[in-house]
Amino acid sequence: MSEEEVEAEIERLIAVRQAEDAAKRAQKSTETEAPKAESAPAPAPVAVTPAAAPAAPKPAPAPRKVEPKEDGEARGGAAVEQTIRVDVKRLDHLMNLIGELVLGKNRLIKINDDVEERYEGEAFLEELNQVVSIVSLVTTDLQIAVMKTRMLPIGKVFNKFPRMIRDLSRELNKKIELEITGEETELDKSIVEEIGDPLVHIIRNSCDHGIETPEIRLASGKEESGTIHLKAYHEGNHIVIQIIDDGKGLDAEMLKLKSIEKGIITEKEADTMTEKEAFGLIFRPGFSTAAQVTSVSGRGVGMDVVKTNIEKLNGMIDIDSEVGKGTSMKLKIPLTLAIIQALLVGVQEEYYAIPLASVLETVRISKDEIYTVESRSVMRLRDEVLSLVHIGDIFEVERVFDNSEHAYVVVLGLAESKIGLIVDSLVGQEEIVIKSLGEYLKGIEGIAGATIRGDGGVTLIVDVAALMQMAKSVKSTVGQESAESRGRLGAKNKASDYTVMIVDDSKTDRTIMRKALEPMGITLVEATDGIEALNILKQGDYMFDGMLVDIEMPRMDGYTLAAEIKKYNKYKNLPLIAVTSRTGKADRMRGVESGMIEYITKPYSPEYLMNVVKRNIKFNEGL
Amino acid sequence: MSEKLQQIINKQQKSLSGDDIKIDEVIQLVGFIVGDEEFSVPILSIQEIIKPISWTRVPQTPAYILGVFNLRGSVIPLIDLRSRFGLEMIKHTEETRFIVMKNGDDVAGFVIDRLTEAIRLPKRDVGPAPDTVNEEESMIDGVGKQSDRIITILKVHKLLERNF
Repeated sequence: MSEEEVEAEIERLIAVRQAEDAAKRAQKSTETEAPKAESAPAPAPVAVTPAAAPAAPKPAPAPRKVEPKEDGEARGGAAVEQTIRVDVKRLDHLMNLIGELVLGKNRLIKINDDVEERYEGEAFLEELNQVVSIVSLVTTDLQIAVMKTRMLPIGKVFNKFPRMIRDLSRELNKKIELEITGEETELDKSIVEEIGDPLVHIIRNSCDHGIETPEIRLASGKEESGTIHLKAYHEGNHIVIQIIDDGKGLDAEMLKLKSIEKGIITEKEADTMTEKEAFGLIFRPGFSTAAQVTSVSGRGVGMDVVKTNIEKLNGMIDIDSEVGKGTSMKLKIPLTLAIIQALLVGVQEEYYAIPLASVLETVRISKDEIYTVESRSVMRLRDEVLSLVHIGDIFEVERVFDNSEHAYVVVLGLAESKIGLIVDSLVGQEEIVIKSLGEYLKGIEGIAGATIRGDGGVTLIVDVAALMQMAKSVKSTVGQESAESRGRLGAKNKASDYTVMIVDDSKTDRTIMRKALEPMGITLVEATDGIEALNILKQGDYMFDGMLVDIEMPRMDGYTLAAEIKKYNKYKNLPLIAVTSRTGKADRMRGVESGMIEYITKPYSPEYLMNVVKRNIKFNEGL
Repeated sequence: MSEKLQQIINKQQKSLSGDDIKIDEVIQLVGFIVGDEEFSVPILSIQEIIKPISWTRVPQTPAYILGVFNLRGSVIPLIDLRSRFGLEMIKHTEETRFIVMKNGDDVAGFVIDRLTEAIRLPKRDVGPAPDTVNEEESMIDGVGKQSDRIITILKVHKLLERNF
């Protein structure tokens, strides 16, 4: 279209849009007027919602209705397309926007809860509730839908291989059959694209070097036609593509000889090589076993490229081969940006996501079920002995507080190996989106990536295979109580070793509390609101034995403060005592929910307050 | 309506094409304080500046990498510039900011003590880094002189380079 035409088109569309808007406005005003007349006897929110609902969804489809028509005309009635090509960057952008939307939604839900609390029983609440739940529902659906747009079945790549095999077998005078399984396995589009070329190389190689000619096959007692089996399946947070042929297999000795011949390795190196390492030689640049260069292979480039391509995807190649029986190549590729189910575990204040596919089971054990064998921790799991490792030892988590009698063990399994991972808490199962840590932080041992949680925080995803490797070299500290926690418990020698924080926005109230507690001789720290209290806790200058918390405070109220504090493992057992003039049952309930252990209503006598505090901080009367 | 649209489009085009010529001689920098010194980076290498938000520690990294944080759906590394420059880490204050810098596809957030101002500096007032600094290793791109003060200009690509 020329510029003038575009101009004219825009003008026309605007005109159409304006006309529609005008019509809609007219319609809306009549609609809202009509129910208003009826609404007098009915409760207000019920009447408003149905009136607003039918009007609201309309504006969105309206402009769209115009455009497809135009498109159709422009193309001159081209065939109906079922798919469209979209730049992946756009999808990424969409994905990020939706992430933002989810965060917004979560905040909306939280605000809704707060509003509900404050205006309990008001009529407009129901309406708000409805809107919030619709928004959250749609957001979730939208998120899933966009994620799915990026996933493609691997069949897209596999589809071109039958033809390739046919061509090759004709060219090479061999009889080759291709079996494909798991073509419906979905993986990220970017990987589907990247994986094509390496697979072509591997399959060509299998045809050329792997499968023998019919005569040789018959002579060695095999079926006349060779089979190449192409398999795709999910394993842990990886997708595995396996290429299995029943050809002549790789001969480790021959590979070594060829490599020495080509100067890729020295004889000395060859002597110390294991069979697996020898198989790895085929990925070295310049390596080729073909006696002469053909159009199919022999240039010594192919497998080298395969390796670089797979490594670019952070994947692994595993070769298994037996002379005379065949070769199996296993490509293990992480499902970047795929959605996986994960188990979220907590250690101190940190959370980690473990791919659920690698989790066999979780058990809760008491500390004395952990034994030490050759300075490694183990436990008995039914008939087996399971070696244990603490997640904190692997990820260098500072362990400050560790006095619980019980531990949770997540039993991880990968292939044949098993390990028990000790964590402080199990948070739950969640569907997570894997995001890479970026160029700057890539390749960190034990971390497969990161994900963004509902609260906007980042949670790291555990790389189970790497973790198992790391576990072998980690010095175990399981079962050893951290020195600090012991020191802390034993250090109460005088009354002033006890520290209590008073959080209240009113100076008078703080003074009353201080007056009541001063006779005990304990250390008192004051904060004027939740934010300040939280900051004092975070700074860690004091070790608090208890907190007195007012409920109504500016900036951050008592409930929120309590909930925030309980997020820290360190303070999980810190006694929080609510001191408030709110006496409603709902308030008490909420206090308990947010983690308060006592509820003192104002006014109170100084003795009462003192007793409550004494009881909760386990004050030693002898001091 | 369409006239207005056309006007806006024209204006945008003008602003897009017209600006480049002027910038050439003047470099625009954003100044900030880390420790006792004032540093700056080119304004175009800054994606955004945000107030501190919570981050997640990443194990097996040097101490100056605080971890990663979520910037509207992207996971971005967070680097403490005090620690990076060998200074003692301090607690974040009201004035602490995260500067998110980018160079091509590399993006990272940097913790700075406080912002100073956006600086327009003629190119001729920018001198090379002091001779004593090793050219290859240095994170310093040059030194800007403005009336009575000296501003160190940092190499963004060097800051964003992984060195562990």
